[in-house]
Amino acid sequence: MLNFNLAIPSQLTAALLPDLILMGGAMLLLLFAVWRRESAEHQRLVGVLSIALCVGTLVAVVVTMYRRGIAPPGPIAVDNFRWMMDVIILLGTIGALALGIDDNDRSGTTTAETHVLILLATSGMMLLAAARDLMIVFLGVELMSISVYALAGLNRRSQRAAEGALKYFLLGAFSTAFLLYGIALVYGATGATGLFQIAERIDANGLTSSPILLIGIAMLLVGFGFKVSTVPFHMWAPDVYDGSPNPITAYMAATVKTAAFAAFLRVWLEAFPAEFGAWHRAVAGLAIATMVIGNAIGLQQRNLKRLLAYSSIAHAGFILVAIAAGTAQGASAMLFYVLAYTLATFGAFAVIIVLSRGDEPVTTDDLSGLWTVRPWLAVAMTVFMLSLMGFPIFGGAGFLGKWFVLQAALQAPRPQITLAVVLVLTTVISAGYYLYVVMVMFMRPRSASANVPMETPAWTQFVMVACATAILVLGVMPEYSVRFAKVGVPRIAIRQAAVYDPNVLAPNELARPRE
Amino acid sequence: MHDFLLSIGYNYWILPTLLALPLVGALLVAFTGRRGEEGEDEVASGAARGPRVLATAVFALEFILSLGLWWAFDPSYEGWQQSFDRAWIPTWGIRFTLGLDGIALMMVLLTTFIMLLASYGSFTSIRRKARSYYALLLLLTTGMLGVFMALDLFLFYVMWEAMLIPMYFIVGIWGGERRIYASLKFFIYTMVGSLLMLVGIVYLGTHQPLTTVNGIVTSVPNFSYDAALNTAQFTQRGALWLFGAFFLAFAVKVPMFPLHTWLPDAHVEAPTAGSVVLASIMLKLGTFGFLRLAVPLFPTAAMQPAVRTAVLVLAVVGIVYGALVSLVQPDFKKLVAYSSVSHLGFVMLGIFALTVQSVQGALMVMINHGLSTGALFFLIGMIYERRHTRLIESYGGIARVVPMFAAMLTLVSLSSIGVPGTNGFVGEFLVLIGSFRTAPVLSLIATTSVIISAAYLLWAIQRILFNPLDKRENEHVSDLNRRELLLMAPLVAGIIWLGVYPAPVLRRMEVSAEKFVRQVESKSAVRTAARER
Amino acid sequence: MLLQHAATAGAHPLEGTVASYLWLLPLLPLLGFVLNGLLSLTSAFHLGPDDPGADHGHDSHAAAAHDESGGGAHGDDHHPVQRHRHAGLVSLIGPGVLIAAFGLALAIFMAMRGLGEMHAPFVQRYFSWMPVGDLVVDASFQLDQLSMVMVLIITGVGALIHLFSVGYMQDDPGYPRYFAYLNLFVFFMLVLVLGANYPILFIGWEGVGLCSYLLIGFWFSEKANADAGKKAFIVNRIGDFGFLIAMFMLFANLGRLDFAGVNATIGQLPFGGVVVTAICLFLFLGCAGKSAQIPLYVWLPDAMAGPTPVSALIHAATMVTAGVYLIARSNVLFSMAPVAGLTVVLIGGLTALFAASIGLKQWDIKKVLAYSTVSQLGYMFVGVGSGAYVAGVFHLMTHAFFKALLFLGSGSVIYAMHAAYHATHSHEDAQDMRNMGGMKKYMPITWVLMWGATLAIAGVPPFAGFFSKDEILGSVFLRATHSTLADARWLGIPGNYVLYLVYVMGLAAAFMTAVYMTRMMIYTFHGPNRTGDKEREHLREAPWIMTGPLVVLGVLSVIGGWFNIPAALPVGPIGALEHWLEPVVGESTLRVAGGTLPEASHSLEYLLIAVAIVIALAGIGFAFARLKPQRLVPKAQAPAEHGFGLVLENKYYVDEAYDAAVVQPVVGVSRGLLWRGVDVGLIDRLTRLLVQSKDDDAAPGAVPMGGWMTRAVGYLGSQLQSGRVGTYAWVLVVGVLFVLGAFSFR
Repeated sequence: MLNFNLAIPSQLTAALLPDLILMGGAMLLLLFAVWRRESAEHQRLVGVLSIALCVGTLVAVVVTMYRRGIAPPGPIAVDNFRWMMDVIILLGTIGALALGIDDNDRSGTTTAETHVLILLATSGMMLLAAARDLMIVFLGVELMSISVYALAGLNRRSQRAAEGALKYFLLGAFSTAFLLYGIALVYGATGATGLFQIAERIDANGLTSSPILLIGIAMLLVGFGFKVSTVPFHMWAPDVYDGSPNPITAYMAATVKTAAFAAFLRVWLEAFPAEFGAWHRAVAGLAIATMVIGNAIGLQQRNLKRLLAYSSIAHAGFILVAIAAGTAQGASAMLFYVLAYTLATFGAFAVIIVLSRGDEPVTTDDLSGLWTVRPWLAVAMTVFMLSLMGFPIFGGAGFLGKWFVLQAALQAPRPQITLAVVLVLTTVISAGYYLYVVMVMFMRPRSASANVPMETPAWTQFVMVACATAILVLGVMPEYSVRFAKVGVPRIAIRQAAVYDPNVLAPNELARPRE
Repeated sequence: MHDFLLSIGYNYWILPTLLALPLVGALLVAFTGRRGEEGEDEVASGAARGPRVLATAVFALEFILSLGLWWAFDPSYEGWQQSFDRAWIPTWGIRFTLGLDGIALMMVLLTTFIMLLASYGSFTSIRRKARSYYALLLLLTTGMLGVFMALDLFLFYVMWEAMLIPMYFIVGIWGGERRIYASLKFFIYTMVGSLLMLVGIVYLGTHQPLTTVNGIVTSVPNFSYDAALNTAQFTQRGALWLFGAFFLAFAVKVPMFPLHTWLPDAHVEAPTAGSVVLASIMLKLGTFGFLRLAVPLFPTAAMQPAVRTAVLVLAVVGIVYGALVSLVQPDFKKLVAYSSVSHLGFVMLGIFALTVQSVQGALMVMINHGLSTGALFFLIGMIYERRHTRLIESYGGIARVVPMFAAMLTLVSLSSIGVPGTNGFVGEFLVLIGSFRTAPVLSLIATTSVIISAAYLLWAIQRILFNPLDKRENEHVSDLNRRELLLMAPLVAGIIWLGVYPAPVLRRMEVSAEKFVRQVESKSAVRTAARER
Repeated sequence: MLLQHAATAGAHPLEGTVASYLWLLPLLPLLGFVLNGLLSLTSAFHLGPDDPGADHGHDSHAAAAHDESGGGAHGDDHHPVQRHRHAGLVSLIGPGVLIAAFGLALAIFMAMRGLGEMHAPFVQRYFSWMPVGDLVVDASFQLDQLSMVMVLIITGVGALIHLFSVGYMQDDPGYPRYFAYLNLFVFFMLVLVLGANYPILFIGWEGVGLCSYLLIGFWFSEKANADAGKKAFIVNRIGDFGFLIAMFMLFANLGRLDFAGVNATIGQLPFGGVVVTAICLFLFLGCAGKSAQIPLYVWLPDAMAGPTPVSALIHAATMVTAGVYLIARSNVLFSMAPVAGLTVVLIGGLTALFAASIGLKQWDIKKVLAYSTVSQLGYMFVGVGSGAYVAGVFHLMTHAFFKALLFLGSGSVIYAMHAAYHATHSHEDAQDMRNMGGMKKYMPITWVLMWGATLAIAGVPPFAGFFSKDEILGSVFLRATHSTLADARWLGIPGNYVLYLVYVMGLAAAFMTAVYMTRMMIYTFHGPNRTGDKEREHLREAPWIMTGPLVVLGVLSVIGGWFNIPAALPVGPIGALEHWLEPVVGESTLRVAGGTLPEASHSLEYLLIAVAIVIALAGIGFAFARLKPQRLVPKAQAPAEHGFGLVLENKYYVDEAYDAAVVQPVVGVSRGLLWRGVDVGLIDRLTRLLVQSKDDDAAPGAVPMGGWMTRAVGYLGSQLQSGRVGTYAWVLVVGVLFVLGAFSFR
């Protein structure tokens, strides 16, 4: 148990160690990447090195977590929530890199910087997970976003990619503006940017109903709404996802969203718990709109990437339910949910990569009768689809994620029954397209037009197998990860939560609960 | 026998074994033999031989193992038997708890029995992708057995949903022309219901009294069945909503009018074994849900006069409606499917009439319907394999060509009509005589179905077996073969046995049935009294 | 309670005598059924190929399967008639078990006679059938004087008819199947009369119905026969519905279903109360179904589609009288419900009259007998309904004799006719009396015997029918003067009026009976022969295996009346049957009679008897006077009926009415409204709003799923997804406003 005093630079550095490792490594890799001239081998090499770097960072994160560092309120948080978010983000990054290596080969992209860009974006995300000060949040958001803008437009030859990237940039700019505006207003109301101080001052000065503060929160909500693509701030997502290369799409759909949610939740739980009454209705409304619209539009899609795009929108809605609970348990639920979601998404995109050929989109027709030609591919895809759908056993972790969210929603001091019901009903709608994919693969004859899927490349296969296995294993014996998720809640949230949520164990306590 | 079973610790390992065996079997089967080519007739090429033999062997072993329960089960003991309890996800208060009462016991035996026949009956009817088919059949078994054994709501739900997927594939891949529509309809219907039940389950589990664990007051949820039964906290209005959620889930499965329309499609499109499993076991899962969860957990809601009357009326409507609609079905399989709606209506009537006789009768009907309708579907499948049509009018007079088939079909139909001396009578008689005490008018209406059921089945078998043999293609149909005879023999034996001497079965279920009635009556009475005060 | 009965049974005087082999009685026919059934199936059955799915060529054996597996031979003459390969064995087993059973029955009867007075019934309890809570239903038999009489009739007449069948059915390809069904029927019939509680009785009740279904449709390859069988079963089911409800009410009110228990506890219910009346009426609904009373009689005439011996055994002698037995068995119940009794009497009287009138105009010899059966059953119900249980059972017995004889006689006539037509490959109707005539020349024995039976049914002394019918009419008349029935009111009408009315109806029916029976005899046996010149020389008396039983039955129908001689005619053992049945029905008879048996002055009794005789003779005379067999022409060139005659020939168009009023509407509503309308039209369409846009899986382009509601939402959403940043910006602004609005400014 070591206590970082964040006022002291050296200790602050220590607390930021994993992030620094990643950033430093990324810089070096950038130099190395541009130092040689572009070639497929070089691209692969850099990719592998980046993966190695991520693994290294992962180790650092886990080690720091087990050293049970804590810190007094300061610019950055030192708590399990951050570490676990880091873990999920890094896993996602590794997935993106691994897929990227193969996908670049397939699409003939030889620019090695792509991997480095991913690393830089990731460092921004880790900053987001750590941020306990609105300025740091902003920093992280920008660091992440700018790299992702670049990544979105990576595919220089593709018209759609360029368009998507531009849109992403423009609308991203909008959202950033809202974010910044919100930060300013909150600061104006409370005179602080540190989440902890904000919470304190709201309590101390009885600002719960100050209009400026509320507008500020609303603006923040819009800003985050953009980043996590909730309806109606989701419009950019489908086009961008459609345009970008598959690995990047997966990365955006899963990891970027995860990071944004991390910051979102921390800000909400640590800065505005007292405002629950004020923001709850808005968040709940966004959640419902997102779940309904996202899933409903999802039904229309036959282009797999767009389908998954809307699925990711819908999932944003599901996760919002966890936030709307406004409890530390909600945080745990979110942790578990995004983990499951990340696994399923990357798996699904791995399958898409195997199926895609050239630049034209992969549609459900390309899947028809897949079972007869590539049974295991079809089985894997089924697992991912069912997991996204939240189906027990066969969908493994996905179901437990939904279960956890439901638990959080219903066990909250104000049980969110409406949200829970909407959640399950929209899940039925979502079955419409997830199940359709399964149906097409198993029950339709192989159509002549469908292209012959290529041999699964090594890294892609690795991602696919890893994700599927993880989903199934987590689905049957989740206890350990659940316990992690349970303790992985924002420090201060615990304190505030402890008032009305005795369900939270003491921080860092991984003791086995009652048998 | 009993002592021998005890000496080998049967009671401790049997339930988990019954769950695990099919899983292992599924894995093995999935990798036996070679993968069938696209469009290959695996029966002719022999590729199906390995998987089907292995699967049937596993099912046989499963059945033999489960048979021990018949002796190991103590009919006089009220509590859970052969229980098995391990921590699963303690952080969520979820445990892996299995156990049997008289009701579950019979359902488990029925399941293992029917599944064995289902697998044996698919030998020649499944001609492609045999490996996957038999593997799925085994997976399905685990799911269904799990539902009957589960004593933890989470486990119950997981098993409940888990069995959906295999059935979805079985119908969707090996089914008839409109199989995709049918399978999807089946899936969505069931899912809508069960997801609301999921909310209900989570609510029940999370609204348990606070418990103090090593000093810290925690509210770790508790999903064990007994906790939900005894300590769950909800208001009277809450009870209504929760009951509604559970009711929907089970009413779809039963299926109760007007939620029944998925059933005819699913039954007709499914392959023979699929229809058999659907009718004989899956429908019972619904009624079992009422007996195990919906009614005992929320007796006040379920037995509220308005609710109870509504359910009884729906049940009776289902009885008469199903019978009337069967009357005019051109497709024999569809006819039987609608007759299931009618029979399951009897079960619902029995459960909600809430007398010992009616509940026992409901249980008997569950078993009988499993045997009779299962047998009917097998027979339809057999003739379908020969003539590739299920339309009644494309037959006629074939009793002259296939006497054995005719004899079987007649006997089974009689049991489905409920002619005394066959199992069908015992169940319906008990249900009606019991429900006549509490709901005379409704059971009087329900009794009219003895007329209609005779009408539709006799009319159907007349048009199939009797009348002039006027179609060329029917003149060379071959009669049942060795395997099919072997398949029908146990079913017929069961039909006669349960009709003549059902006492042993009734005795094993009696305590549980009485407990059910007593609990529900006392609780609802107490609560109502409290309300009046 | 029942256990106590078992205990008393232990102490019962019959214990240890041959009666303890009671269980063997039904078991013997069951054994016969199993053996014959196996013989029938094994000989007809050919094992199918291991893989029926594979498209194998036409099986060689299919052709063989044709004539083997029953059906069809009868009726199409070009079919090579060949005896079944097991015929000999079957003819041994089939009648054998019956004769054995009859022997056993006689032995038991002797044992009972030996006891002299026997008050408690002899109950044998085997195992507990449906023990649930306070519901006790045991598999147990009960032997008392009433069931003894029935057992003797069933096994005795049954054995004779089995023998007759050996001759009648020998050449039928379905021979073993026939005897299997016949034995099974006897088994169920014995269960019916021996059952110690209503559910067991119900087993037999439905079982005999089942067998009659199978036997009516025995030649199932003709649609008409299959239809008739189905009709019989379904109409019976309507009756069974009533029976079931009656049982439910008994259990709901008394908690007992065994006869002993019911008789013991029925006292709890108020005399003539609603409950007991309802129970009796529902029971009677069951009887009306089984015993073909108005309004459920319609199945019996069609049931003549079955082989003639079947008509004799099931549709004349035994099964159709089950209803009468049920009321006699439930005499305690009925004696408590005068209104129900009046209903039974009235329905019985109406049926007797109505059916007799139809019988006047039938041409099919078996149809005549069928309607006469219906009308005679009416008499029996008049008897048991009016509380004269002995009279009812007495008529049941005598009727069993002479009606069985009549049917078997007509059977041998038809046999001869059929043989004639068969020999000449003619397709005339072998059962139409217009094709007969003058048969006495060719089959004298049958002629004599059938005249005996005719006089018996017409009620001419000293033949059997006279005594029983006279006793029934007499008791009705007497009870009209003084009985609980007379005091009760039926729908406001005083009971004694009803009884007088029924008495008159009875007389009228008796007249008609005499007329149509004589008519049958004249047209069949007298006058010129109309069979055809070629056919004529093929007409000859049936073999002895068939005529033998006829003789026996003839003797019985002559002396049958002596089993219960009224006191007024001291020509033999007075009231033997009455004394025999006294322990069973005596008490209730008294209760109905209002405490004291109606003592008729001998003069009055003589008067009644005289009236009966006069009417019978008048009928016969009338028939001889009016009917001119010489004028009759063969069916082929027979002129169409007109006026009331037509109505009678078409049985008052009752079948047509039922079809239009019940069958068609039910089917129509089920198909049009319930299935097409509610199921497909309404529910499925509603589901499609949410679940499925279109059914056909063929079109891969189809939107996966989601009915138009969900799709509409999705459509709007995807329309906004135009790809133009401008649109997005607008949506964004809307969103911001939405969020701001959602915030609550307190």
